Amino acid sequence: MERPIFQPVGTPVEELDTPALVVDLDLMERNIRTYQGYFDGTGVTVRPVVTSHLCPQVARRQLAAPGSRGVAVTTVGEAEVFAAAGFGDILLANQVVTASKIRRLCALASGAAISVAVDSADNVAQLSQAATAAGVELGLLVEIEAGLGRCGVPPGAEAVALAQAANAAAGLRFRGIMATVPGPAGDDANAHAGQTLQNLQAAIDAKDLLESAGLAVPEVSVGGAHCYAAAGELPGITEVRVGRYPLMDVRLQAYLPELSLAAVVLSTVISRPAADMAVLDAGHKATGPDMGRPVLQGHAGATAARFSAEHGVVDLESGALQQSQDEAQDGGLVPGAKARLAPWELAACVNQYDYIRAVRDGKLEGYWPLSARGRFA
Amino acid sequence: MIDSQTPLPGTPMEELDTPCLVLDLDALDANMDVIADYYRERPSKLRGHSKNHKTPAIALRQIRRGGTVGGVCAAKVSEAEVMVHGGVPSVFITSEVVGELKIRRLCSLAGQAEVMVACDSPANAHALSQEAAAQGVDLGVVIELETGLKRCGVQEIGQGVDLAHDIASLPGLSFRGIMSHQVIPAMPDREDRVTEGNRVIKGVIDLKDAIVESGLPVEIVSTGETWSYDVAGEIPGVTEIQGGSYLLMETHYGYMTEFSYAAKVLTTIISTPRPGIAIGDAGARAVGTLRGMPEVDARPGVTIESMDGDHAVFRLSDGASLRPGDQVLLIPAQQDAMVSRWDRFVGLRRGKVEAVWDIQARGCHN
Repeated sequence: MERPIFQPVGTPVEELDTPALVVDLDLMERNIRTYQGYFDGTGVTVRPVVTSHLCPQVARRQLAAPGSRGVAVTTVGEAEVFAAAGFGDILLANQVVTASKIRRLCALASGAAISVAVDSADNVAQLSQAATAAGVELGLLVEIEAGLGRCGVPPGAEAVALAQAANAAAGLRFRGIMATVPGPAGDDANAHAGQTLQNLQAAIDAKDLLESAGLAVPEVSVGGAHCYAAAGELPGITEVRVGRYPLMDVRLQAYLPELSLAAVVLSTVISRPAADMAVLDAGHKATGPDMGRPVLQGHAGATAARFSAEHGVVDLESGALQQSQDEAQDGGLVPGAKARLAPWELAACVNQYDYIRAVRDGKLEGYWPLSARGRFA
Repeated sequence: MIDSQTPLPGTPMEELDTPCLVLDLDALDANMDVIADYYRERPSKLRGHSKNHKTPAIALRQIRRGGTVGGVCAAKVSEAEVMVHGGVPSVFITSEVVGELKIRRLCSLAGQAEVMVACDSPANAHALSQEAAAQGVDLGVVIELETGLKRCGVQEIGQGVDLAHDIASLPGLSFRGIMSHQVIPAMPDREDRVTEGNRVIKGVIDLKDAIVESGLPVEIVSTGETWSYDVAGEIPGVTEIQGGSYLLMETHYGYMTEFSYAAKVLTTIISTPRPGIAIGDAGARAVGTLRGMPEVDARPGVTIESMDGDHAVFRLSDGASLRPGDQVLLIPAQQDAMVSRWDRFVGLRRGKVEAVWDIQARGCHN
C-alpha cells in the first residue's frame, strides 16, 4: 500500500511529498460539467465507467452533476467496492462466467440494482440459475460486437435468440443491449468520428432487429469516451458509458481538447547529473506508461524523454537548459524542484496509486482513496 | 477493507477467482537456491532488490536460504520502511533521496536498522548530514557512479573521490562505498555477458581504487543485476550484487535457463465469441504490457493476439480449444512493473494454495 506522508489540508501543492497523483478539483468539476453537458436535450444519459478512475469520490461528483445515472464497472471486485460505497445502480459491462463470481454478483443484487453483460446462452442459463437460487434479480444486457474484436455477438439471429432467452429466464430482467466501440487509432479526429458512427450502427441494427422480433429494448448502452458526438446523432442510443472525462489523459485530450488535464503525477527532481538532464523520482511504477509515455507539463522545451521502473529522465536540451539554469533560484529543474507529468493513459496510471491528492487553488483539500484499485477479480 | 480475495491454504488453483497473481513456490525456491549455491563460497554476495517483489516474506526467505549479505536493496524510502518493519535488518536505498520530509523519514529509519542510501552530489550529502546529525543517527552513504545508464550518478572518477571525502567528513554520515547499475539488451551467450559485464563494471573498480588510493577505505562495491549475477560476482573487488528479477522471472530473461518462471497471472476465459478466438479476463492493467505481451504458459496452440485494459484476446490454432471457465496462465514479459499492481501473491505448490503473501510495499512510490 502507498505510504504517503499525510500532509495537512491547505498544504501548497509544491510542498507535497512525491511521487503523488494530484487532481485539480476545479478542472475536474469543469470537465464533468462540460462533458455531461454535451448530452443536454439529447435523451442520452452518461453512465460513468469508474474503472477509469477507481475513486468513489470522483464518481459521486459525476452522479451529482446533471445528465448521468448509475455507474459501470469491469470486475466483480469493483462492483463490490462501489456497492459498499453506497452506489445503487451498477452495470458490470463484462461477462461473469465462474460459479464463485456469479455468487458474489448475486449477493450484491440484494442491495443494489445490478446488471451484467452476456454473449452466450450458457451464461444466461448459469446466471438465471444462480439468481433464482439467491432470490434476486439481475439485469441483463446482450453485448453486441461493434468493431472491438472482443466479446459480444453480431447483430443477427444469435443476438435475437440471446435476448429471447434472457427475456424468458427466471431471475433475470432483459434490459437491452450494450456495445463498446474501439478508441482512436491514429490522430485523424474526423476519420475516427466516421468510423465510430459506422461501429455504433451495429448497436442500432441490433436494437431494430430485436424490436422487430417483438422484444422491448429499453436500453442501448454504448461505450467509448470519444463517441459522444456520434451517440447524440444516432437516434435510439440511450446511454453512453465513459470514464476518463473527469480526470482526462493526454491520449484523449487530442480528441477532446476542450477538456483539461485534471490529473497529473507530481514528481521531484532527485539528481542533475549532467547539464542537459534532470532525473525524476517517478518512473514506470508511478506513471503507468504501458500505452504511452507521460508528458512533462509547464517546462517549455524540456521533455520527459525516458522512463525506467523507478526514474524518469528529462531532456533539457534545445533552449530549456538555459532557461532552467537561469531559473535555478526560482523553480528550474534543480534537485528538489517539482515536475508535473500528465498521464498518457489514465487507467494505467491511477492503477498504481492508493490515493488521489485532491487539490483546489494550489492547496491540498484531501486524500481520496482509490478504493477499487487492485480489484481485478 | 473488503477482502474476498485471500484464498485458504489447500484451495485448488481451479477454484481461484481471477485474475490472480500466482507464485509457483517450487520455482521460487529453486531460483533462491541458484543464488544460495552460487554465492555460498564466494567473497561477493547478493543484496536482492526488494523493489521487484515488495514483500518482506520473500526477502526474508532468500536471506534464510543463503547467498546474501543479510539485507536487501530498496528503490524508495517507503519501500525500505516496509522491509525494516518486516524484519529485514539491513536496507540499501539505491536511489538518491531529496526533500526535507523524505530525508526526515529516511533518518528515522536509520535509527531502526542498518540503512544506506545512494548519493551523487555534495548538496545532497550536506542535506542528509544535517538531518542525520539532528536526529543523532548514523546514515550509511554510498556514492552512485554513472556507467552507461545515463541516469543518476557522478560522471567521473575525480568527482567521486571528492564526494567520498565530503561524505566522510560530514557528521551523521558514514561513507560506506560505491554503487553502479547497468542494464543490457538480452545476451543469451554468457561469454558476451562476461565481456559486457567486465567492460561496464571496470569503471566501478577504477573509482574504488582511486578512493582507496586517496586514503579512504571502501567497504561496499555494489553493482550488477540479474543478467550479471555470475559475472559481477567474479570480478575482484565487487562485494555486493543487486539482482532482483531472477526471483520471479520474466520472458525478458528467459535466456537465463537456470531460473524458472515463478510469478504468473492466472486468467479465466469469459467468452468464446468467434471460432478460433477466446477472451480472457486479465488485461494490461493486471499484467503490464510495457515490455511486450505476456506469453501463454503450457497451452500449445494458444497465443495472445492482443490485450487491452481488462481483456486478453487469445488466438487458438493447431486444434487448441478453450471454453468459458477454463483457466490460462500468463508469464509476464517484465515482472517488476506487473507486481506493483497487485496486493498479494497466491503461492501455489502442486496446484494448491500453500501461502498467501501480502505485497506490503506495493504502491510505495515515495
